[in-house]
Amino acid sequence: MMIKVENLVKEYKLQNRKEGLKGTIANLFNPSFTVKRAVDDLSFEIKEGELVGYIGPNGAGKSTSIKMLTGILTPTSGTVEVNGIVPYKNRKANAQHIGVVFGQKTQLWWDVPVIDSLVLLKDIYKISDAQYKKNLNLFNDLLELHEFQNTPVRQLSLGQRMRADLAAALLHNPRMLYLDEPTIGVDIVAKEKLRNFIKEINQDQKITVILTTHDMGDIEKLCNRMMIIDHGKMIYDGNVDQIRRTFGMERMLVVEFEEELADFEVPNTKHIRSEGKRKWFQFHRLQTTPSEIITAISSRYSIVDLEVVEPEIEEMVRNIYNGELVSEEVSEG
Amino acid sequence: MRLFWSFARQSFQSRAMYRFDFWMEIISVFFSIYAVYWIWNTLFAQSPGSFEISLAQMTTYAVLGMAMETIFLPWIGPQVYISEQMKHGLLEMDLMKPVDFQFHLFARNAGETFFRFFLLFIPTLLVSAYFFDFKLPATFLDGAYFLVSVFFAYMILFGLNFLMGMISIVTINIESISWAYQGVLRFLSGQVVPLWMFPASIAGVLAVLPFQSIYYVPISLYIGELQGVDAVRAIAIQAVWVVVLMGLGRFVWSRIYSKMMVQGG
Repeated sequence: MMIKVENLVKEYKLQNRKEGLKGTIANLFNPSFTVKRAVDDLSFEIKEGELVGYIGPNGAGKSTSIKMLTGILTPTSGTVEVNGIVPYKNRKANAQHIGVVFGQKTQLWWDVPVIDSLVLLKDIYKISDAQYKKNLNLFNDLLELHEFQNTPVRQLSLGQRMRADLAAALLHNPRMLYLDEPTIGVDIVAKEKLRNFIKEINQDQKITVILTTHDMGDIEKLCNRMMIIDHGKMIYDGNVDQIRRTFGMERMLVVEFEEELADFEVPNTKHIRSEGKRKWFQFHRLQTTPSEIITAISSRYSIVDLEVVEPEIEEMVRNIYNGELVSEEVSEG
Repeated sequence: MRLFWSFARQSFQSRAMYRFDFWMEIISVFFSIYAVYWIWNTLFAQSPGSFEISLAQMTTYAVLGMAMETIFLPWIGPQVYISEQMKHGLLEMDLMKPVDFQFHLFARNAGETFFRFFLLFIPTLLVSAYFFDFKLPATFLDGAYFLVSVFFAYMILFGLNFLMGMISIVTINIESISWAYQGVLRFLSGQVVPLWMFPASIAGVLAVLPFQSIYYVPISLYIGELQGVDAVRAIAIQAVWVVVLMGLGRFVWSRIYSKMMVQGG
């Protein structure tokens, strides 16, 4: 077992700030606190070699739980074990075999060329020359690192920076990789490259990966398992196909007409909204198909453009959380 | 140790990249040296008898004080790195590395300082010897004392800067405190004015503070103003400060670290 988390709880103490001079004095002598429970009784296990999508709305407790797994935050209660090590008690030992990429932050040094940062990391992690060379070759092949290895990090494009950060995170052959929004803000081509790379190292080197993202595409392309949390609680833990089958039934067809039209009904669909010449129709995957709807509409009006919109992960999460889409399949995993 | 060389090499490379900065720094040091050199020359010309030491000793003191700033530069210290990392929320990235935090910062800073010692400090002294009557130490022992003392001075400065860095973790912004700190350091360390010219009451206070160990002690050893027992005692006091400040830094960091571990970064 790579990761074992049991009844994990993290509470933050937040000081209530009172307004005004009287309030400030009161804050000094008699501060009052509210306790915010960021992670609430979380339990899960991850096997070696798994690639798990870890999602939830902003503020759901994803980062807090990742921080506890990486050993920079102590849990309020519960247990965490990564590769047999308790991360917060043994930060340095844990750090030696984990790799981390946080989309919004970089572990490379801003002012120096990428390759210099890598050389420093080689010494920080005490990587042997042979291993360093081998990994560098791998990154050249898969991430085309050589294209920008002599450029200072501050001059890199976001896609390049992300590739460089992935290389930095994997240089010491970690067994565990934490990716926090690794594709955020990256263009489609670069995104595809990043995804392929993540997939490849997961399959070839059996590196266990936890991937936090808001991009459903990342989850679909990469993960076989998905954990959804909200308000610090696990609300879904299971397979990705299944969640699509279970929750991805509602799709949306956006149709643009030649002119602005009054609202009208189409069989088996729900008219959601109109905006100028465009209308949104929601439909259930099992009840009808886009082509049926298009046929029905185009027999009466002329269509300029159309688009099928897949359900957003945020929306699914919201639906799951609101209890609208709970099914018996959810209990698996 | 490997980490230390790695940072030294990196400083060298980035210095090679910012060549313009390098030359600007050299030029500005020479301006400072030129200024203090003439101030002391003028003062000595006005009232030759009112200083305890010779003009040559005095100018050597002043030149050395300015030249040492190339290695004790305020804006390359650990406090600058820490406050930058804090501002960008990157301190946690450093915590995810398998190295001791204080050691990491020490290696980073010592590597750069080592590089500066040879590429800025020594050349500055050589040029000063030619243009500004900068003298070699009178005896071999004075020179040896000086080198040991500069090493301890560096450690003391690192210890103080690290504590400044700890303050920046708590307050996020240290720019205003930093200015005051630099001013205090420059004045109380005897970098510009030797401490024996201070009134006895102030000098007494300074004697129990660590600042004089940074500039005053090494420079006084160099010009032979501190001799024999005094020299050994001054170096011993430096060593005590190294232990105290490094230990204090570790203690404060461990407190801040455990608070960060509970309350988040």
